[in-house]
This record gives sequence, structure tokens and C-alpha cells, in this order.
Amino acid sequence: MTVIARGWERLTLPGKLVFTLVPVLLALTIGLVAVIVLFGQPILDVLAGNLEIVRFVVAVTIVLLMTIPTAFLIIYMEMKIIAQMNLRIGPDRVGPAGSLLSVVHGLKVLMKEDFTPTGADPLVFTWAPVVVYLASVMTLLVIPFAPGLYGQQFNLGLLYFFALAGLSVVGLLMAGWASYNKYSLLGGLRAAAQVVSYEIPLTLSVVGLILLAGTMNLYTIVENQAGWFTDWYVFQQPLGVLIFFIAATAEANRTPFDLTEADSEIVAGFATEYSGMRFGFFFFAEYVNVFIISALTVTLFFGGWNAPFPWPEAWRLSLDVDPGSLGLGLLFMIGLVPLVLTIVFSLPFYLASSRIKAWQALIAGFVLANLFLGTVIFAWGYIGLDWVAGVLWFMGKTYVFVFTFVWMRGTLPRVRIDQLMDFAWKWLLPASLLNLFVTAAAIIVVKS
Amino acid sequence: MSLIPGLGIAKGMALTLRRFFEPKVTVMYPEVRVDVPHKFRGRLQLLYDEWGTLKCETCFQCAQACPVECIDMGGMDTRGRYHVHWGASETYGERREESALRRSGRPVPDPAYRPYEPVDLAVVDTVLEDFDHDPARMLDILEATQDAYGYLPVAALKRISHATGAWYAMIYGTASFYAHLRFEPPTATTQAAAVAAHRPAETTYLAALDAALGGAVGGRAAGRTQA
Repeated sequence: MTVIARGWERLTLPGKLVFTLVPVLLALTIGLVAVIVLFGQPILDVLAGNLEIVRFVVAVTIVLLMTIPTAFLIIYMEMKIIAQMNLRIGPDRVGPAGSLLSVVHGLKVLMKEDFTPTGADPLVFTWAPVVVYLASVMTLLVIPFAPGLYGQQFNLGLLYFFALAGLSVVGLLMAGWASYNKYSLLGGLRAAAQVVSYEIPLTLSVVGLILLAGTMNLYTIVENQAGWFTDWYVFQQPLGVLIFFIAATAEANRTPFDLTEADSEIVAGFATEYSGMRFGFFFFAEYVNVFIISALTVTLFFGGWNAPFPWPEAWRLSLDVDPGSLGLGLLFMIGLVPLVLTIVFSLPFYLASSRIKAWQALIAGFVLANLFLGTVIFAWGYIGLDWVAGVLWFMGKTYVFVFTFVWMRGTLPRVRIDQLMDFAWKWLLPASLLNLFVTAAAIIVVKS
Repeated sequence: MSLIPGLGIAKGMALTLRRFFEPKVTVMYPEVRVDVPHKFRGRLQLLYDEWGTLKCETCFQCAQACPVECIDMGGMDTRGRYHVHWGASETYGERREESALRRSGRPVPDPAYRPYEPVDLAVVDTVLEDFDHDPARMLDILEATQDAYGYLPVAALKRISHATGAWYAMIYGTASFYAHLRFEPPTATTQAAAVAAHRPAETTYLAALDAALGGAVGGRAAGRTQA
């Protein structure tokens, strides 16, 4: 037996898979690179000819990939912020300030046994988390992140959003039904009842806004709110925002409406029989939902990517420097500027005190130079590129709302199921109708 | 429900936000250790066993070990006969008037009940004179007292406690520790056993005589045939 054969024998099944797949992937990558180099132009022509399809594929890929760090970040925020509110420190062992703990959680969930109970309908059981996850992820496609930075922009954006968000009920019911467990089924029905009930005030609360905006295109809605922050729809639809936020909280199954999986009271509702990554997908979907709901609140009512104040035209610099025009100078810049800056920034430290050694001064200078360069590039991006500023404002506002969701979870106790239903049907629904009528009347009065 | 709906929610949110910015109380235990005074013993607790009775046996070990003498306790001894207590009488602040006991729901003692028989204390006084009222020689005092009375009467123990200044509970503990000290007049059986224990060769000697002479030897007490 050769050395290679013995090594092969010792590998586990996943190990064998990895050792087979990695060379295959490498070969494919090399082949792909070769193909691109050889037939680059024709491929580019084909892609340019089908720009819409390419755009869609790229957008879907980016949106799918985006959910992973988003969910990790929100899980980390939740652990850390609630800990701080409990006067604890929270996670602090894995990574800087415990920031890698959610990655560890993800790996743990991946390594757990993926169990299908006896009697469960394996097909529906397997697809339920996928449906729940995709229903929330696909709504991200219509959210405009910045000027020109969106997945799809079309006339029915908001309707598409609510339609897909409502689709997650199907996933919940699938999970409850396929688990072959009466408690799961009850949990699924309860979740469905809650989500369907809150769907109505959620949708009705934005109808007033649609009347005001005259469109369901999210991109246009954001564009309508440009200018000072007083132009945001929140000041024209205060009741609408309130109803929307409450209903969205229930829709995303967040405290105080997290009855679908009340961690401290019932087992896990519809997710009782789930384990491993399938269970993980439900949670993934929940945290992505938090982000999406916050993003939609920002998009509809808080001006989306718009800064709260208009950027003065006088400051709008056009920094269209084409790096290619610098020629050889670019190489010199890349090579010399960091070096020179490091030395320049380390000089004051070196001269300030004889106790600071040269290498310490150099390290301090290196850090400072990096900070300086980062700030410069960042400022250049902010001033010169609309979408950088837009993404910054959008993400900033969105994470304010994410923080609010976490904050609410750290504060509010859970409501009872009958209180939950009462609130939806007796308070939110009339209030949203009132909002709609008042808005419509106001529009007629103003126009006539 | 408050007058303004949502006011309670706002208050709660404000509270958690304030907590968010307050200093944290977590102690990073393996790296950081709280500076605990070396005499700190944690919270004192009286535990109950699974039958609902106190696990405390009134052994006074905790009270003896207590570095700040904060434990004072009282109770019945293990055989439920005598009330013993540990601690200075002024800290042992029990109100014993009949009315106070009755109001507190505790059992009211019967004034006619004598917990122990009065004995002639002149005897123990001479013993104490012999040993110079020295509590350090407690075992000698107790043995001499038992020789004088035949046993250790509670009245005599109280007298010893009073005269030497040693706590009654401590004297009781010392007396109950040694097997040859007893609290009751010896019965015939225990006396015979004690005598047999003091003369270990006697039974073997008598057994050998029995075997040699083939019959009963002497008038033996019933207890002696044991062993």
C-alpha cells in the first residue's frame, strides 16, 4: 500500500469529498480563467446583450450573500446589547469583544445532526425552512440601498414586498404540518394566525403613504423624500409609522410579539422538530427579517438613502480622477505615499520623547497613516460618489431601527395570544383605516 | 393602564437605555477575583432535610468556629432532653415571659415542670474547690463529680458552668463526648457491664473454671455471662 493510498484510507467521508472537490474546483477555475482570457470579448458581448438577466443574477447572488454577515451582525448585536442592558458584558471571548461568537454559533449549528423525525413528510419538512428563508431574502431585492444600487426597480415594488413577506406563512405552516407533531402543528397554526392578522394592518398602514407618493415603486418613494429631513414621510404619516412599526414587529416575530417561538415558555412552536442547519435557517430568516423590516421602515418613512439635510451644491466636488491617466506615477504613488506618510506621522512621536523608541514611533506612525489614508479615501468616496453616501446613510438609519428592535427585546415582556389578536383587530386595524381616510381627505382638501 | 397609552413602555425603554450606559457589574472571574475578606463565610443558612426537619444537630461547631462570634443558637440536645444554648445571654435575646411566648405562638413552659432533679450542690462545690474552679481541667472536674454522685446531674453541670465560667453547652459537649461519663444514675445492667469492662480477664477466667469444674461457678449476675 502506498503512502497516498494509506492517507486516503484514513480520511473520513467529508475529508474524501473535500480532497476530491478541491482539485476539481481548482481545475475548473483555471479552465474558466483560460476561457475568459481566450474568449473574453465574445463572452462580454453576450453578457452586455443580456444585461437585465446578468443584473438579476448578480443582484440575487449579492442579496443572498449579504444575508450572512447581516444575520451574524444582528445576532451579535442582540447578544451584546441585551447584555449591556442587563448590566452584563456579554460575549467577549471569541474574537475582538466577542464579535466572532455568532460565527461559532453558525459553525455549531452546521455541525449538529440534521434530524428528520419518523412519520414526517421529508420533502415538505426539508423545504419549509427554505421557503421561510427565501420569502424574507427575496424581499431584499426591491429595497433600494442607494441611488442606482438596488436589485430590481419596478412599479409594484411594495406590493411584491408584502406578497413575498406573506409567503413566509406558507413556510411556517409547512414546518408545522410536516413535523408530524401536534405541538408543532399548533405552533404553526398559531404563527400563521399571528402573521396573517398583522399582515392586514401592516399593509393598510402604508396605503396612506401610497396615496401620498402616488406610486408603489420603492425607488421613487425614496426619491420623493429627498431634501431636508422634514420631507420624510414620517412627518406626514405619524400614525402610519406607528402602526407599521408595531405590525412589522409582529410580522417579524419579535418581542413583544414573539409568540411563535416564545423561547422561555413553549418549546419552539413550529420549529420543535427541527435541528441542525434547518433549524438554523428559521433563525437566519428571523434575523434577516429584522434587517428587512428596519430597511423597509427607513425606505418608506425615513427617507431611505437621503441624508437628513441636502448636501450643498457648492460642496459637491467632482473628483473624477482617472487612475489610468497617471501612468507610471500611479506606481510611484502606491509605493511611496504610504512609506512617506508613515515616516511623517511617526516623526512627532520620535521627537516628542526620548523614551519612545524608533520602532514604537514607526508603529504609531503606520497606524496613524492608515487611519489618515482611510479617512481620505472614505471622504473622497462620500463626496465624489453618490452611492457611497447613500449606503452609509441607509445602513446607519437601518441599524438605528435594528437597535430599536433589540432594545425592545431587552425591555418589553411578551403579550398573551388573546391580547395579541385583540390588539391587531380592535386597535391597529381601525387605526390604520382612520389613517387611510384622514390621509385621503387631506389630499382632497389640499388639492381642491 | 396608565392615562397615556404607551407611557409604561416609554418608561421601560428609558430604563433599559439608562442601564445600557451604566457601568457593568460582571467580574471576569478566572482573571479577576473579588477581594473577599478572609473571614467571610458567605450567607448562613439553616437547611432542612427531605423530611422537613432541621438538619442542624445543635453541635455548636459552627458557633465555636465563627470568627466574629455572630452565631448564637439554642436547641434541644440530640436526645431531646435538655435545652442547650450557645452565646452570651444578652445576645441570646429570647423573651421568656409567659405572655410573650403565648403571643409569639411558641410553647409555653409549664412552671410546675422540673427539667432536672435538684441535688446537693455542696458536693460539687468541694470538687470545684479541689480543682481550683479551673475550666481547663474540666475533664478532671467532671470525673470527680461523677465519682461523687455516681453520675452527672444537670444541676451539678450548671453549677460547674456557673463556677468555672465555661459555657454550659461546652461542658455538655465535653461530658457527652466521653463514654465513661453518664448523665443518669447507672442501672444494674450498665453497672455490671461497666464492671465487666473494667475487668476483662474475669470472664475468660470464669469460663476456664466452668470448663475445668464442669458446672456453674459462684453466684454470677446475669450480665456477666455475656461477653
